[in-house]
Amino acid sequence: MKHAIEIDSLDYSYADGTEALCKLSLRVAPGECVGLLGSNGSGKSTLLLHLNGILPERHGKGGPVRINGQVLHQGNLDWIRQQVGLLFQDPDDQLFCATVGEDVAFGPTQLGLPQEEVDRRVKAALAQVGLLGYERRAPQHLSQGEKRRACLAGVLSCQPSILALDEPTSGLDPRSRREFKSILRDVPATKLVASHDLELILEFCPRSIILDNGRIVAEGATFELMADEELMLAHGLERPHMLDHMMQNDVLPWSPTLRPPSP
Amino acid sequence: MHIPDGFLDLKTVAVTGLCAACGLGWALSKAHKELPQRKVPLLGLGAAFLFSAQMINFPVMMGVSGHLIGSALLAVLLGVPAAVIVVTSVLIAQAFLFADGGVTALGANVFNLGVVAPLAGSLAYRLVTLLVKDERGRIAGVAFGAWCSTIAASLACAGQLAWSGTVAWGVGLPAMVGIHVLIGLGEAVISALAYFAITRARPSLVEGSTGQDGQGTVLQGVLACLGIALFVAPFACPWPDGLETVAARLGFEHQAQDNHLSVWGDYRLPGIENPGLATALAGGLGCLLALGLALLLGQALVRRTRPESGS
Amino acid sequence: MGGIHFGSHGTEPVSLRRTAERPAPPFSAVSPAWKLALMLVLVFTTALLPVRFIAWHAGLGLLLLSVVFMGRIPLRPLLLRLSLVLPFLACICLASALGPQGGPDWRTLALRGALCTGTVTVFAAITPLGTLPLLLRRLHVPPLLVTTLALMHRYLFVLMDESQRMRRARESRTLRGGRSRTWLLSADVLGRLFVRASERAERIYLAMCARAWK
Repeated sequence: MKHAIEIDSLDYSYADGTEALCKLSLRVAPGECVGLLGSNGSGKSTLLLHLNGILPERHGKGGPVRINGQVLHQGNLDWIRQQVGLLFQDPDDQLFCATVGEDVAFGPTQLGLPQEEVDRRVKAALAQVGLLGYERRAPQHLSQGEKRRACLAGVLSCQPSILALDEPTSGLDPRSRREFKSILRDVPATKLVASHDLELILEFCPRSIILDNGRIVAEGATFELMADEELMLAHGLERPHMLDHMMQNDVLPWSPTLRPPSP
Repeated sequence: MHIPDGFLDLKTVAVTGLCAACGLGWALSKAHKELPQRKVPLLGLGAAFLFSAQMINFPVMMGVSGHLIGSALLAVLLGVPAAVIVVTSVLIAQAFLFADGGVTALGANVFNLGVVAPLAGSLAYRLVTLLVKDERGRIAGVAFGAWCSTIAASLACAGQLAWSGTVAWGVGLPAMVGIHVLIGLGEAVISALAYFAITRARPSLVEGSTGQDGQGTVLQGVLACLGIALFVAPFACPWPDGLETVAARLGFEHQAQDNHLSVWGDYRLPGIENPGLATALAGGLGCLLALGLALLLGQALVRRTRPESGS
Repeated sequence: MGGIHFGSHGTEPVSLRRTAERPAPPFSAVSPAWKLALMLVLVFTTALLPVRFIAWHAGLGLLLLSVVFMGRIPLRPLLLRLSLVLPFLACICLASALGPQGGPDWRTLALRGALCTGTVTVFAAITPLGTLPLLLRRLHVPPLLVTTLALMHRYLFVLMDESQRMRRARESRTLRGGRSRTWLLSADVLGRLFVRASERAERIYLAMCARAWK
């Protein structure tokens, strides 16, 4: 089967020699939604940046990164960046244009699409995130939730088949968080979600990976990983309280075959 | 030091505009060729930094406060072409959006603060870092560069005002330079402290600023200094005259002549008759004094933190 | 895939709630390009015209006043901006008044300076800040400069917020102040501000690359 994301024993260290990723292998099927768990500095963001070929200086080292079956290399970066949409942690970093409209148009324009197609995509992307009519607004006048949605529109306008989301709900108030999640749910793409928001991961991702110090230390059904208190604590995480609530009410995410371990 | 509108005449506006455009054009083409792509956003963020940095006020005395000018600091941190672009952007925004600095005087302001100041600052920095090669040298270089850039910019400013006939050279030069010798000291201290904070917070940011391509620039530096000296010296002669005019207008003339208490009288060196030469020598001594202070500052800052870093 | 929803609001459609629209600046029907052109003509003429054409100066003064009143431009910020320019104006007028004759009269300088400053200030008040980069791009100003201006405009307030937060954090931990201590702390804030600015620049570069920037 052709994987959406296929990484074989990827190594990466920063310029100062700090090892960020170590022998990391990962396979994600098309349409799958995978959670990335791990404490701060465990390499989640670095891994996401790799999907897009953004850390190019050393990406010849270690195993190749394959996106939709194609090996990522300097020659196909444009195609890769169209395929993989990256949502950054701080919306202010991502919204660098003067207006929301310009920002959403940035990707399609850089891909060299004709103007009518760019306009059409901007409109579609803004409609998808519920920000139609915001084209001329300046990013600094948006609320945090609107900023986040504008960022997502900028990513969606490239029509990616894979979304790499870095802390998509951080800094949002409950209402914006709910709105953002409901938008995200409707995007039909393969998703890789890095977050400390365990509720979000539990809700979106049937499968998860725990990273620690740039290595994959556990991989499996999100529910089972999170229920393993010892494992979670050992890697700077914790077992979410709502698991108990879910077990009590017999609410099970995603798969009726998955049963919580009996207490 | 932002010249407002209405103070420069047509010829000065045209010539300074042309000079500024040439300087900016040089910086843009050089940055286009040499600046790595990943540094392009840094120009915009550098400009935003400079803009917000100029809003941080430093108390001086009696309710007066000053702020960073920053041309020299940016020239050291980002390189001269980038500093030219950054400072110019800030000046454009200040002129059009905040009416701070005139629109007709934009060329002059860009030339003084955006071209002359970074160049002078960077040259002075390189000279000092060649003399003293360690961290003390770099801090002293930033301080001395900041001082020199302030003086150079004020010289250019006085020159433009004089050429427009707005403020006579004999009045403008001592007034502008006199004030900016002091402002320059403040600028030097702020720049050096800020540079020091940056080296402590993230040393990798200043690694590129160690003045690698040394030898060629020293020659350029010396030549530039000579050029400035030659440019200033002929103008320097009317210096005392100008002040005498002021004194006459204010009615101090008699007192000054009776008591030999001319303000600048002490500034003339004994035994040297030519006032131009005397002024140049005095200026040179002032520079050396500033350099000495800069070196002391570098020494003090580095020594102050050594015990901490050791523990 | 149908995720479970916690609470009862999970499938609520995204509301199109908007934060209150800021009122458009007055005279927004006139395109910024025309406003800029008019402003430049007015300022250049005023700055370079001999002051004996007093009718021109009086006319410009009247025009400015009528724009201020017709556009209902708030006077306080306008006067505040004017007052920022005054010290330099005053110094040069003083120097010119005291210096040898030959140049323009100090009253001329003061009149010209005040009128030009007023013109630019009024222009800035009726033109949205963000249009300048776009305008310059259309005028074929080199792209590197336009990019720098646009990014500066975009991140100016972000950095100012950061600098204020850092200063507050610093002050809240500073028990005794003195001038030298204030200088050290403010310079420290400056240094950290630069570090943050360059770190943000790196992240922006990554974000630009992620969307196929060339």
